[in-house]
Amino acid sequence: MPSPLSQRLAEIVGAPHVLTGAACAPYVVEGRSPDFAVFPGSKDEVAAVLAMAADSGVPVTPWGGGTRMGLGSPPAHPGLVLRLGRLARLVEHEPGDLTATVGAGMTLETLQAALGRRGQWLSLDPPEAARATMGGILASNASGPRRHLYGTARDLLIGLTMVLADGTVVRGGGKVVKNVAGYDLPKLAVGSFGTLGVIVEATVKLRPRPDCDRLVIARFQTLAEAGSGARAVMASDLIPSALDLADAEALSARDGAAGSDGAALLVGVDGLAEQVDWQCAELIRLLKDCGLSDWRLLDGEERDQAWRLLGRMALTVFPEGSAGMSWGVLPTQVAELMEQGREIARRSGLRAALSAHAGVGIVSAVLGAAGAEARRVAETLAEWRALVNASGGHALVEWAPLAVKERISVWDTPDPAHRIMKQIKAELDPRGILNPGRFVGGI
Amino acid sequence: MAALTEARKQSLRREMEALLGPGSVLSDPDELMVYESDGLTLFRALADFVVFPRTAEHVSALVRLSQREGMPFVARGAGTGLSGGCLPAEGGLVISLMRMHRVLEVDYDNQLAVVEPGCVNLHLSWAVGPRGFYYAPDPSSQQACTLGGNIANNSGGPHTLKYGVTTNHVLGLEVVLPDGEIVWLGGKRRDPQGYDLVGLFVGSEGTFGIATKIVVRILRQPQAVRTVLAVFDEIDQASEAVSAIIARGLIPAAMEMIDQLTIQAVEDAFGCGYPRDAAAALLIEMDGLAAGMDEQAARVVAACRETGAREVRLARDEAERQLLWKGRKSAFGAYGRISPAYLVMDGVIPRTKLPQVLRRVNEIVAARGLRVGNVFHAGDGNLHPNILYDPRKPGEEERVVAAGGEILKVCAEVGGSISGEHGIGLEKMDYMPLVFSGADLDCMAAVKRAFNPTGLCNPGKIFPSRKACAEAGLAYRPHPLEEKGLAQRF
Repeated sequence: MPSPLSQRLAEIVGAPHVLTGAACAPYVVEGRSPDFAVFPGSKDEVAAVLAMAADSGVPVTPWGGGTRMGLGSPPAHPGLVLRLGRLARLVEHEPGDLTATVGAGMTLETLQAALGRRGQWLSLDPPEAARATMGGILASNASGPRRHLYGTARDLLIGLTMVLADGTVVRGGGKVVKNVAGYDLPKLAVGSFGTLGVIVEATVKLRPRPDCDRLVIARFQTLAEAGSGARAVMASDLIPSALDLADAEALSARDGAAGSDGAALLVGVDGLAEQVDWQCAELIRLLKDCGLSDWRLLDGEERDQAWRLLGRMALTVFPEGSAGMSWGVLPTQVAELMEQGREIARRSGLRAALSAHAGVGIVSAVLGAAGAEARRVAETLAEWRALVNASGGHALVEWAPLAVKERISVWDTPDPAHRIMKQIKAELDPRGILNPGRFVGGI
Repeated sequence: MAALTEARKQSLRREMEALLGPGSVLSDPDELMVYESDGLTLFRALADFVVFPRTAEHVSALVRLSQREGMPFVARGAGTGLSGGCLPAEGGLVISLMRMHRVLEVDYDNQLAVVEPGCVNLHLSWAVGPRGFYYAPDPSSQQACTLGGNIANNSGGPHTLKYGVTTNHVLGLEVVLPDGEIVWLGGKRRDPQGYDLVGLFVGSEGTFGIATKIVVRILRQPQAVRTVLAVFDEIDQASEAVSAIIARGLIPAAMEMIDQLTIQAVEDAFGCGYPRDAAAALLIEMDGLAAGMDEQAARVVAACRETGAREVRLARDEAERQLLWKGRKSAFGAYGRISPAYLVMDGVIPRTKLPQVLRRVNEIVAARGLRVGNVFHAGDGNLHPNILYDPRKPGEEERVVAAGGEILKVCAEVGGSISGEHGIGLEKMDYMPLVFSGADLDCMAAVKRAFNPTGLCNPGKIFPSRKACAEAGLAYRPHPLEEKGLAQRF
């Protein structure tokens, strides 16, 4: 017999758009089943569902493409999964203004295809573009290699509509590229992991598609050489769009040559043909002084495929099970910390794959967890965290088997400003129904 | 706030002098007058004290003292703001950061700098210039304005079209929260955990606390710069050229428009070589790699010609480039020569709406018997109509303010914003309902409470007054001090 709650949900979104019981299986979060999965078709429906959930005290788990649902402390009770896939409309695209307004449930790939038909793109390239939705990308602050030149979601989001925990619909920012009216609520939403509100619509800044876009894969004998190459690029006149550093294990995700030696720099270069040609030539010249052993220039589908595989590296490199961390460190520390991180894994007898957006100091560190004791994996992650924290950086467990998460905190120990974050959460979601307990410091 | 008794004032003064040392506290009305307004002289308000801390600990102690006394406080940089944001609207303490002006650290390898809030914007670029670096956001007041003020207002400038505004360049802040605690938001590293408090703080107009250290990105100076002046007989053609350049896949570093009235004022005053009979000129700057620069310039020139430019001039050397920029940068000074006063407006529109909105702006101003000069960031649709007037003529100031309000309405109607870079401050708080609903404003007020629960940190700004709320049909949320019967809105 359907519960009164599921009946009320069906009244809001229509019976076909409410799942209960075993039908919710695709929406299990970290091994825990939600009571409902609900698919609203409009922002008013989102608002009505949230108002109802708030009334009944049911926790709400917003869900975009489901690519990063394992990020965060495991939820005590996912309650109601709110899947935004039906809010997938390109609301407005005005090429002359270089802006677009898009429903939160649209996938990045669909959006890029629509923009591309008019010669433009959103300069954000997180992994899993075919599944990742705009709302999820913004809420989880997902990014990719081209953040080196084009920044992250915070730099591209200029306006948003968000439904608060009590069902109130609020807007922040606007549709224009420059705007200082009112507090910057879009910034607050980016990276908030759905703990403050449910993003239903976003307005973003666009760029013209470059005439020419190339990927240079430059190989080195050692990680240290590749790291010195990255630093040489940063200290030069070059303006690459991406500057990634990958160790041998991470590279194996791309070329399948597992366990090969060495390291590589993956450098994106885009712009006018003349600029790209000059940059490629200058890049090779520069890297030769750093021990460059071999290089390839990729274009077109080959280039896109290489970037896609590298983006999926974290998921594919250890298919039988893995735990992943993201480190935020100074660009100059990247190669050395990667080297030390490999050494820590080696001592623990675990395989590791590390790559980095070297120019901005974001490292993705993945540990092969298959067959390893959870305790050993957790201890190795803790050693990584200690290494990174000691360098002044921060370390986040992006995903890990539940048994590992029981032994290590997903987030770093909060700093003193955390009390302001808790206060913001208390103001905007006083009953704590939005993704409770998953965020930093138990928010 | 109830007025301080003379005795109380003396004792507070002594207490603050003991804290900061001699010569750090002003309370004489003649001295306070200097701080009664910012760059927007329409608003004036006198503080009880102006104080000059030299450390974050000083700022913290002053903030704690203010909280203890129930006394409002507001941070102030160089006072070049244009919305009254740093005015002591409800009396109390003005905390000047001008003695905290050092560049503390430059890390060229990681391309960042740590500065104090009183550091002048241009001084940072000077400090890192010899090593081939610069700080990108360049508000027109960059020779005087401070980075702390830039943080408060999320300041822009001509080159933000390509490089973004202040918020895109700030990595971390040490701030004194409104209760006096000193904390770091963000730092030197990307993607700190938790909510983006740096992003929230930048542009909060001094209502979330006082920044005492600022970590910014510094950029390498571009290899090459190319500057073009395109001259048009119709202002619509100049607007169309802006869109045509974008449509050719280019994002120049800057695209500035200067209208006829402004050209003539500039030529009368400084003689920068702009044609006096032109309806509008576009100043377009490209920067980046030397390779491909000719191709970029050729595309820009072609786009301008296609949309009807009668003349396109390419600066041949740095001297010519400086002369072209002089015309743009000296516009405000030139207005001063042709009018006793002018009001600088700041609104934003989608750039494709430029032709229709510029026509409306001119109509609105002309209908009130006034003149307007437009010099603005056309590339990102950030309008700066400057309404010329004579404050000695009765009623003229009121007409200017009314025209300004109508212009903001037009900006909001076409999907734009009521401020692109000057902030809301005192000037525009009553226009907030043009772009935000009651729910939007309530949400912002909730965020403000999280930082500033007593409301003593820069009160009376950003949020609409009781009267404006009533006109817009919004519920008015009183200031915490009003609730306690301690203050009234003026």
